[in-house]
Amino acid sequence: MSTIALPVPRELGARLVRAEILKLRTRRGLMIASLLLTVGATVATFSILAVLHATDPAHHKLIGGLPHYDDGMYSLTQLSTIAAILIGATAGAGDLAAGFFRNLVVTGRPRWALFAARIPGGLAVLLPMTALAYALTAGLSQVVPGSEGTPSVALMIEAGLWFELYIAVMFLLALGFASLLGSRATTLGILAGLQLLVTPLVQGLHDPGVGAESILGIALWKLAPRELANGAPAGQLGMSLAAEVSVIVVWMVLALGLGCWRTMTRDA
Amino acid sequence: MKTEGLGKRFGDEAVVSDVDLRVPRGTAFGYLGPNGAGKTTLIRMLLGLLRPTSGTMELLGLPVPKRRRQALSRVGAIVDEPRFHGHLTGRQNLWALAAAREPEAHGRIEGALARVGLRERADDRVSAYSMGMRQRLGIAACLIADPELLILDEPMNGLDPAGMLEFRELLHSLVEEGRTVVLSSHLLDEVEKTCDAIAIVDRGRIVAQGPIDELRAGGAPILRIECSDPRRAGVLLRNRAGVAAVGEEDGMLRLELAADDPRAETANIAHLLLDAGFQLYRLQPDEDSLEERFLEITSRLGEAA
Repeated sequence: MSTIALPVPRELGARLVRAEILKLRTRRGLMIASLLLTVGATVATFSILAVLHATDPAHHKLIGGLPHYDDGMYSLTQLSTIAAILIGATAGAGDLAAGFFRNLVVTGRPRWALFAARIPGGLAVLLPMTALAYALTAGLSQVVPGSEGTPSVALMIEAGLWFELYIAVMFLLALGFASLLGSRATTLGILAGLQLLVTPLVQGLHDPGVGAESILGIALWKLAPRELANGAPAGQLGMSLAAEVSVIVVWMVLALGLGCWRTMTRDA
Repeated sequence: MKTEGLGKRFGDEAVVSDVDLRVPRGTAFGYLGPNGAGKTTLIRMLLGLLRPTSGTMELLGLPVPKRRRQALSRVGAIVDEPRFHGHLTGRQNLWALAAAREPEAHGRIEGALARVGLRERADDRVSAYSMGMRQRLGIAACLIADPELLILDEPMNGLDPAGMLEFRELLHSLVEEGRTVVLSSHLLDEVEKTCDAIAIVDRGRIVAQGPIDELRAGGAPILRIECSDPRRAGVLLRNRAGVAAVGEEDGMLRLELAADDPRAETANIAHLLLDAGFQLYRLQPDEDSLEERFLEITSRLGEAA
């Protein structure tokens, strides 16, 4: 049986990526918090819905179906974003905070490679977790759906891919900022504020203005499947697909570019 | 290891100035200076952690930063103090570091842990390690590179006397294997016991450099005398041509001899004191310790400044 050899640059190296995974995976607090924010939050949300339905079926619908899928996706996206920012900020600033970055630099390995290894390393920890949380949300929406129907397979696949893209982008944003700022706490504060306060606030405006289009969270929500109404910007934002993609690309280039530049130039 | 005219400025302040350093292969070399003399800054520049303002550097005969990667692949270093991920075990930290080196580095982890005596505690989290254990893990991190050159910044910090002795023996064994060890320290005694050659640095400049014996011999010969009434004996000897300075230390006279033949001058002084009616209990020629030479050099510079 033949295998396909992926063209991984020699400098990046699978061992360096595995080391990044090890550094994240062994942080017990980070892993517990991230699991609670993703899988735990999904289980908790649907458990509460089940209890509410059991105690007052007249006012609370069955746990499955499209409306609960829509609500579940919104809360899952918001909470998983925090997990993505946590993991991204830790991947970006963890070595520096521990004083370990210096040890890595004196091996002679190019600094860009040290930075680049954080990307697949962090995503390898984060995405399986969020995929599991999404699978739970999608799966539970199929159970006892009630009268309002269930999300179609096509919607679930499309929404799942969009959700993983959203989370990956948020991780990369946090990774870039943390590498730039060298501080996990500052990155957490800034990005959590941007995502949990600024973005929902602008999303709720009926006349958000042109500047709103440049907000990363809004551009990402504009890419979401139409059926995910809960979370989509309320006002009229006439962004084309090209504009949405451009906003995301610009944010990524800025965050990762600045993070890589700082990693390469920082006094270790 | 070689530097020429190496300098680093932070704003108007010159932290390292015009440093010309030559470290021969296969020696234990001490980079000795008081705190704040610019030792760590020099090491950080050599390892590419900090950019120099002026000058050139070579590691293992390779120019850095031009061929930094190749040079550092055979260099192990501890800068400032060894710092690791506290949530990882000692073994995991080494594993993460080995991932940044050549594939063979992983195969050296067990040997390195055994050599520094950390095998039993290798699966404990580093957050539970003492400072001494972290220093040992730092050495193990150097050894996984199979280094030709080890650069160790204040490696004795946090070690108890037994740990220091063990550490010194480890460094000697590394030198016996043909490796070069550069030890930066403010602990004169440790440098004297560990190194073959040194450079003394003060205020960012190298003020003396060479084999320890040569540097130690560069000072004036000292004669200590235990006798009756040392104060009156001091007055008697103060204006003698062969005596450069007279002092008293722990109830003994301490003479700095200026004569060409210190042995003959010692005999003459003994005669003189006996003839003057003093009781002589002990005459002790005393070699300058490195500490005295170090203080002599740095205090002379301080006065000049």
